[in-house]
Amino acid sequence: MRINWIGIPAALILLMIPSLSAAQDSVENLTPTDDTVSEVVTEDAAAEETETQPVAGEPLLETDPGLDIPGMITVQDKPNNAGNQLVVTFEPAVNPEGIHCYNVYRRVIGEESEDTWNLVKVIPADEPSEFIDGYDPEYPIEPGILYEYKIASVSLEDAEYFGPVYGATVAAEGEWFHTDKVRLLIAASLFILLIFYYFGRAQRGAKMYLRPIAGIEAIDEAIGRATEMGKPILYVPGISTISDVATIASLTILGRVARKIAEYQTRIIVPNYDPIVYTVAEEVVKQAYLEAGRPDSYDQDSVFFLTQSQFAYVAGVNGIMMRDRPATNFYLGMFYAESLILAETGSLSGAIQIAGTDAVTQLPFFITTCDYTLIGEELYAASAYLGHEPKQIGAVKGQDACKAIVMSLITLALVLGILDLVANTHTLDWLRNLVTVSIVE
Amino acid sequence: MSAVNIWEKMLNVDRRWIFLGIGIVSIVPFLIGFGMPITTTIEVEGIFDYVDELGPDDAIFIGFDFAPGTQAENMPMAVAVMRHAFHNRIPVFMTAYVPLGKGMAVAALDYVTNPKTDGYYERVLFEDWADYREAGITNKEELTAAWESDGNVLSEGAAGWVFEGRDYVLLGYLPLFHLVILGMTGSIETQFPVDYHNNPIGGMPILMEHKSLREVDLALTTSGSAACTAWITYAREKIGLPIAFGVTGVMATDYFPYIQSGQIVGQMGGLRGAAEYEVLLKENGITRTTGKAFRGMDVQSAAHIFIILLIIMGNIAFFAGGFHKKTRLKGRR
Amino acid sequence: MKRTVPLMIVMVGGILMMVQYFIPHQYSQVILDNYVEWAPIVGAFALILGVGSLTRLHTHKIRRKAKNWQYSWAVLIPLFGMPFFALIVPQSLGGGSEVHGVHDFLFMHIQVPIQSTMFSLLAFYIASAAFRAFRAKSALATILLLAAVIVMLGQVPIGDVLGKWLPNTGLWILRYPNLAAKRAIMLGVGFGMLATNLKIIFGVERNWLGGAGK
Repeated sequence: MRINWIGIPAALILLMIPSLSAAQDSVENLTPTDDTVSEVVTEDAAAEETETQPVAGEPLLETDPGLDIPGMITVQDKPNNAGNQLVVTFEPAVNPEGIHCYNVYRRVIGEESEDTWNLVKVIPADEPSEFIDGYDPEYPIEPGILYEYKIASVSLEDAEYFGPVYGATVAAEGEWFHTDKVRLLIAASLFILLIFYYFGRAQRGAKMYLRPIAGIEAIDEAIGRATEMGKPILYVPGISTISDVATIASLTILGRVARKIAEYQTRIIVPNYDPIVYTVAEEVVKQAYLEAGRPDSYDQDSVFFLTQSQFAYVAGVNGIMMRDRPATNFYLGMFYAESLILAETGSLSGAIQIAGTDAVTQLPFFITTCDYTLIGEELYAASAYLGHEPKQIGAVKGQDACKAIVMSLITLALVLGILDLVANTHTLDWLRNLVTVSIVE
Repeated sequence: MSAVNIWEKMLNVDRRWIFLGIGIVSIVPFLIGFGMPITTTIEVEGIFDYVDELGPDDAIFIGFDFAPGTQAENMPMAVAVMRHAFHNRIPVFMTAYVPLGKGMAVAALDYVTNPKTDGYYERVLFEDWADYREAGITNKEELTAAWESDGNVLSEGAAGWVFEGRDYVLLGYLPLFHLVILGMTGSIETQFPVDYHNNPIGGMPILMEHKSLREVDLALTTSGSAACTAWITYAREKIGLPIAFGVTGVMATDYFPYIQSGQIVGQMGGLRGAAEYEVLLKENGITRTTGKAFRGMDVQSAAHIFIILLIIMGNIAFFAGGFHKKTRLKGRR
Repeated sequence: MKRTVPLMIVMVGGILMMVQYFIPHQYSQVILDNYVEWAPIVGAFALILGVGSLTRLHTHKIRRKAKNWQYSWAVLIPLFGMPFFALIVPQSLGGGSEVHGVHDFLFMHIQVPIQSTMFSLLAFYIASAAFRAFRAKSALATILLLAAVIVMLGQVPIGDVLGKWLPNTGLWILRYPNLAAKRAIMLGVGFGMLATNLKIIFGVERNWLGGAGK
């Protein structure tokens, strides 16, 4: 029976749609209905920062003459978030003597009961009197809601001395663009456009040269060798998850390799480390046999899940190598400390080995023990080499163009660095500031 | 037998002789123990100094993001930082990126709280101090005083008490852990409603004081795979959580760019990194003795010397046998 | 249809997540939150499929008495034995995953040593590979060889004994030339990832859907 596994992500996306609209509803429901409060929001929404005002009718609590109380509280909407954070600043007590910390309480404006005050932050007396409210998962900030705050000076004996209650006149609002990511957007757009430009050029028939990569050219030969020897081919798609691009690249190569194998009527063995990768790999190989016109030759035991434990996986694969003696081993994908153990065992078993990974530290091991190794991005380009499709080749060229831009920037940095040394200027800082992106929320 | 044949034989030596040699140089120094001094590097000092400045109001995560395979290298790193944290009374959250990492976390905790370990910590399980919790005693100093005033005596040789839920919590493993990290940036409890022993973590003082990764001060990830970069991508880049790496020696060179870019506070690379941390613990009076990693460095010294000798021998045979004149050496030798 | 629908899902999902990255709004956050919640569930189901596949493979082997079929028992017995002791056997009979139970004993005394043994093979294989591969065949190969020797000695205490310059030079190699090379490859890999992702999102690369596809 054929099962379409892709139904799982399809269902996932379908389920996302109602939850999105549910979120919209929930935000609408949370908007204050009280006219006066809404008015305050509308009036002050334009102002980025606004001082809070003491709420009329709220009695100021008596204070111990020995312990001073904090002063005015200012609330601002924190930019670039999902409307769930406010920046709260308060004037600390003029006389800090005896104050151990400040307890910050918050509640929704309009709530009357004293029970509705939530302790949202405890700030040690010696720390800055500004904090971001909304990080506490127990007391989240809801977008569009107006809150009021009161802050207490706390003595070492945990006695609280409250300052006045201040109602915020600004509610937290979500933004539709993260302004700190402008440079990132520009860079991403530039690189994406470049790749698309080369897609287009290749599609229009422009001749593009790709330097030959021995490892890729050897794939056919390696499959042929296994066929002649009547031995199986082992394909290891790495030990990473499907979210790793190296794994995806490996699966695209697996599709092409499996098709050749199906045509040659050779046996393939694909042991998998990750269960999701296993489901995709199974589908890839099955489809390859179908496209090669030999669906009946597909052995459902050829692609299987082994284990999600790094060295247990190595033990399993090494066992296959020593028992089944494959004539050709492919190690394509992401590898870690196990790479040498795999490849050396393969070398001992006398197999032809073709490896490819973007894990730089594992490359020396593969280069030492394998006949051919695809280094770094060559792994990603392999699919283009094997398919000779114009768009795929265009993508490789696009990559090169992107690299050229970065290389120019590095050269510029080098020149500016030397200039700074010679002329005692600070031009490199200018370039560094230009390209540095801080995206920490 | 001609001279060339000797060199050829030498180059084609059965690799099992090499394996035997490595076996001998690994076992002998372990039994003898030279205890050669180790100098520390800024990569490891960076982590030590960072942890050393933290205190009871802070908290750290220790990610047991490795399987038993790499425990020889990764375990001493996690154990060293755990002992440092317990000494400085820094609350510790323990997680696992891979399923078997949970077992590693249990093993590390057992080691640090085992009376056979020098300077061990006496463990008090979550249910054992429930009465104190209900009485509102959650501050470490008050809790220790109350616990001892009720007749509990710290054993001789023990360095202190560690209360489950106050000083540490073992959260364990969840699938697709990179997304769990992302989730924990908002709330730890939503990702782990209960700990490894099925205790609800909502009632634990450690969680009440540190509800999300935003309220945590450091995450040390000990790993033999990509787990460490997940902490960078999903915690460091999203909320700025300081990260420290403890990675296997084979992978250590991979992560130097993260040190230079300031994305991690430091890195322990392989057994050497763990041994350096043990030396720093001892030099600063946090532990009385160094641990397993330091002992393992003698083995590593001997093994490295042996490998270098092999390389020299291989080159002598290669040139003396005249193989460098041939275009291609037969086989992969 | 079999290909169009998955391609559409990938395209919509890919673009959605790409755009989501730049939008901090709560609606955008809901999409991310949903993904974070759902993905582990999908992952857990895949694990069931994985265990099913392993079981099927080895039961087939045993049933067919295929070559080395006896080893299949060595896979199946622990595969089901470990969860049996951890989840089914009551704690009073040594069950559960707590310390001192059968599961813990098997884990600590079989699984941990076996896996550590596998990793320790690395030391043996590195020695063998170094002996066969490190040749001063050319000027560049000689530099590589010298760098390797310096780093190896610098990483162990004996390097300190032989001379302070050894660990210092070793660290310098790791911190600068190694870093430069690493960065160069990382950049290439980064753009490779970008191009591969774009190819997948926009349907240029379809092999992951199965077959070599044209």
